[in-house]
Amino acid sequence: MSTVLPAPFTPATPVGRIINVVRLHLANPWTTIFMPWIVLFAVFLANLAIWWIIYTAAGGATDPEVTEGLQYSGATSWIFVYMIVVAAQAMSVTFPFALGFGVTRRDFYLGSAVTFVLLSAMYSIGMTVLSVVEDATNGWGIGGRMFSAVYFGDSWPQRLFIYFAIFLFFFFVGAAIASIWVRWRATGLTVFFIALGALAVAGVALVTFTANWASVGGFFLRAGFIGSFAWSLVLTALAAVTGFVLLRRATPRN
Amino acid sequence: MTNVIEVSDLTKNFGSLAAVNSATFTVSENKIYGLLGRNGAGKTTLMQLLTGQDFASSGTIRVFGESPVENAHVLERISFIKESQRYPDDFRAKHVFRTAPWFFANWDADFASQLIEEFRLPLDRRIKKMSRGQVSAIGVVVGLASRAPLTFFDEPYLGLDAVARQLFYDRLLEDYAQRPRTVILSTHLIDEVANLLEHVLVIDQGRIIIDEDAESLRGSATAVVGTASAVDAFVGTREVLHRDAIGGLASVTIARLDRAEREAAATAGLELSAVSLQQLIIRRTNTSEKEFQSA
Amino acid sequence: MDESRPIFVQIAEQIENDIISGLMADETQVPSTNEFAAFYRINPATALKGVNLLVDQGILYKKRGIGMFVTDGARAQLVAKRTDQFSAEFVRPLIAEAAKLGITSAQLTEMIRKEEK
Repeated sequence: MSTVLPAPFTPATPVGRIINVVRLHLANPWTTIFMPWIVLFAVFLANLAIWWIIYTAAGGATDPEVTEGLQYSGATSWIFVYMIVVAAQAMSVTFPFALGFGVTRRDFYLGSAVTFVLLSAMYSIGMTVLSVVEDATNGWGIGGRMFSAVYFGDSWPQRLFIYFAIFLFFFFVGAAIASIWVRWRATGLTVFFIALGALAVAGVALVTFTANWASVGGFFLRAGFIGSFAWSLVLTALAAVTGFVLLRRATPRN
Repeated sequence: MTNVIEVSDLTKNFGSLAAVNSATFTVSENKIYGLLGRNGAGKTTLMQLLTGQDFASSGTIRVFGESPVENAHVLERISFIKESQRYPDDFRAKHVFRTAPWFFANWDADFASQLIEEFRLPLDRRIKKMSRGQVSAIGVVVGLASRAPLTFFDEPYLGLDAVARQLFYDRLLEDYAQRPRTVILSTHLIDEVANLLEHVLVIDQGRIIIDEDAESLRGSATAVVGTASAVDAFVGTREVLHRDAIGGLASVTIARLDRAEREAAATAGLELSAVSLQQLIIRRTNTSEKEFQSA
Repeated sequence: MDESRPIFVQIAEQIENDIISGLMADETQVPSTNEFAAFYRINPATALKGVNLLVDQGILYKKRGIGMFVTDGARAQLVAKRTDQFSAEFVRPLIAEAAKLGITSAQLTEMIRKEEK
C-alpha cells in the first residue's frame, strides 16, 4: 500500500479565533466600511447644497440668526441608524455562515463585539476629525454645521466620546434585536416590539400620572450633557449582555 | 481503531416529534460513512447535533472524545457542508474561498484552485446571483479543500448535475486515498455513492435501523428469479425479504447464498441477480421504492 | 458475470483474469490499491480487501516500499483452481440447459466439435 499521509492539524489560539471572526465581518468591506462613508458623504453633500442655498439667499451674511439655524443639522442620524442595519446583518446572516465554519457562538459574539467597537472607534474618530475641520473652516466657509452640531458637544474630546457612545449604542442594540430574531424568528420579534411599545406607554403613563416629568428632566440635568450619554452606555452594556445570552442557544435554522 | 464519534441514546425532540430517537452508534476513524435515509428521516438533524449546531434533548455525543457543543477545540477539526448553507449578502464566491482558510488549518489552496476550475465557479459573481448548482459547488469545494479530519457532506450535491456529481465523487475518493480522513456522506441517492462507502448507517424516522459494513451489507442479499414453483421450491424455509411476481414468474429476495447454493440454483435453472444497496435498504426498511428515487 | 457478489470479490476476480490472460505476468508489479480504487471508482478499503484476498491465496505478494507483485507461479496456480471450478461453473449448467431442451450428450459433443473448428 502506498504511503498515506496523516492529516496534520495546528489549532488556533483563543485570541486568534476571535480575530478571525473580526476578519470575517470585514471580509467584504462594502457593507461595513465603504457604504456608511458613502452614505455619510452623500448626506453631507446634500446638506452642503442646502446650506449654500440658504447662505447665498441670506446674502452671504454671517447673521447669527441665520447661522444659528444651521447648527441643528440632524443629518448625521442617518449613519447611526445605518449601524443598526450593519449590526442586524452581522447577527442574522453572518451568524449561520460562521457556525458553518465551525465557529462557536461565544467566539462569534465576542468577535462581533470587538468588530463593533473597532467600527465605532473608526467612525467616531473620523467624524471628530471632520468636526474639527468644520470648526476651523467656520462651517465649511458658509456656516453649516453637521459634524459639530450642538448635539455633539462643544469640544472635540466631548464629540469623540459622544459619537463613540452613540455608535456603540446603535450597534449593540441592533445586534440584540437581531439576536431576538435569530433565536425566535418573526414571532419573537413581534412579541418584543409589542412588549417594548407596551413598556414605553406604561412608562409614560406612570410618569404622567405621578406628575414626575420634572424629576425625569432633573435627572438629565444633574447628569449633565456628558453624563446622560454615559448613562446610555449602561443601556448599551445591557443590550450587549442580552444579545450574548440570546445567541448562546440560537441555532442556524433554515 | 479509534472512534471519532460516539453517540449514546441520542434524542432530539421538536415539540412532540422525535427527529432523532434514541440513536446509538460509533464512527471509526478514517472511513467513508454513508448516512442514508429518506427525506425527513433525520439525517440533517443528526448532523446538526454532531456538529454542535443544534442542541440534543437527551443522550450523549462525543466527537474526538469531547462534547462538540460550543467546543472550539472539536469544531476546528470539523467541516460541515450543507445544501442550505447561507452566505452573507453581497458575498462573492471569492470571499468564501478567502475566508475559509482562516478556519481550517489544513486548507489546501492549490487543491481549492484546481477544484474551482474544474467546477467552473465564477469567483467574482455574487452568490445571490449564482445558480443552485454553483452554490452547491462552492460548498463541495470548501468541504474537499478544507481537509478537515472529520468532514460532513449533507447532500450538498443536490444542485449539481450528474457530471459535477461524478467529479465530486472522483475527487473525494482521490483525496481520501492520498490523505485519509473521516467522511460522512448523507444522501437519499444511494446507488450513486454505494461504491464509495465503507460503512453504512441507515436512519428511518429518527432511529438507526442499519449500522453495518458496506461490503457485508451489499452481499447480504440475492434475488432468485425463475418460474414461481421452482423459485419457491428453492427458497424453501429461508427468510424472504421481498417477493415480486408476474404471470408465472417470481423474483424473491433472500439472504446471501454461498457457492454451493449458487450452483444448486443454477442447476435448478434459476437466475440469480444482484440486489443493489439501494434496493436492499428499501427492502429492509419496507419502504416504497418511490421514496428513494432521485430528486 | 454473476453480479450478486461483493465488489472486493469482483476486484480479485478481475485481477485473476488479468493474470490468467497474461496481461499481468508473474513477478511483474500490479497497480496500487489506490489506483484500483480510482479506476473502478470504489472505496480504497474495498480495493484493499480484494487485493488482500489474493495475497492470502498467495497469488500476490507485497514488496516493502515498492508495491504489489504477482507471485511466481501464480498463473499456474490460478489455472489449476479455475479448472477445478470449470466443471461446476460451466459444464453442469450446460448439461442442465441441454437436458431442458432435450439435447443428447452425443449432440452436445458434436456441437463442441463444430465450434472448435
